[in-house]
Amino acid sequence: MDIRITAQSFDPSAECAAFMAGRADAGALVSFVGTCRNETAGRAVTRLTIDHYDGFTQKEIARLAGEVAERFAVADLLVIHRVGPIEPGEAIVLVAGLSTHRADAFEAVKVLMDYLKTDAPLWKKETGPDGARWIEPRAEDHARRAAAETST
Amino acid sequence: MRLVFLGKFGELAPESLHSPALPDGVRTLADLKGWIARQSPPLGRAMALTTTRVAVNQALVRDLSHPVAAGDEIAFLPPMSGG
Repeated sequence: MDIRITAQSFDPSAECAAFMAGRADAGALVSFVGTCRNETAGRAVTRLTIDHYDGFTQKEIARLAGEVAERFAVADLLVIHRVGPIEPGEAIVLVAGLSTHRADAFEAVKVLMDYLKTDAPLWKKETGPDGARWIEPRAEDHARRAAAETST
Repeated sequence: MRLVFLGKFGELAPESLHSPALPDGVRTLADLKGWIARQSPPLGRAMALTTTRVAVNQALVRDLSHPVAAGDEIAFLPPMSGG
């Protein structure tokens, strides 16, 4: 498992290529990339800033990824999450999974994303022309998190 | 002790709350939250208005009767919003 918290922008395609390099044992790579949108609910967003708790954030994401790795037959998992200031269009998060067959990698990546939305120690602040506001998980994020607990 | 305020709490916490001496009469996390609210009423209100999780020495603690010690690192976490 490779879990990284970074303040630098990253190239999701290059990271996926490196992640699957030499893994001829895996027949499936599934990746999800979350990017910074330039608007939320009709409000323009000019910058996203993500706060984290140094050390704890990485440890908690590794714990969540470990839970997912135990539930699904994945050969490996990769999580890269940005912190600090992020511009619209940039990647915020990459979650990727390698597995022998596609179903496990699809499920593992989906469930891990659902976990990250509500349980990763990260705090997002959106800034736009009308000011800044801290984001909290939406009801649907909690619903997905609860459903992810039981999905197989 | 070292206090860490994440997310919106970090914007409300005055510098003086970052590494205070263990205040007199503070023995538990509940005591500490009360003391923080007296030092900074806006921060106390923000912590009361939302689900605030607490980590002691980088481990989440649910029970606010958990003791606090002078060397502890105690973090206050608003609802998380990753991904």
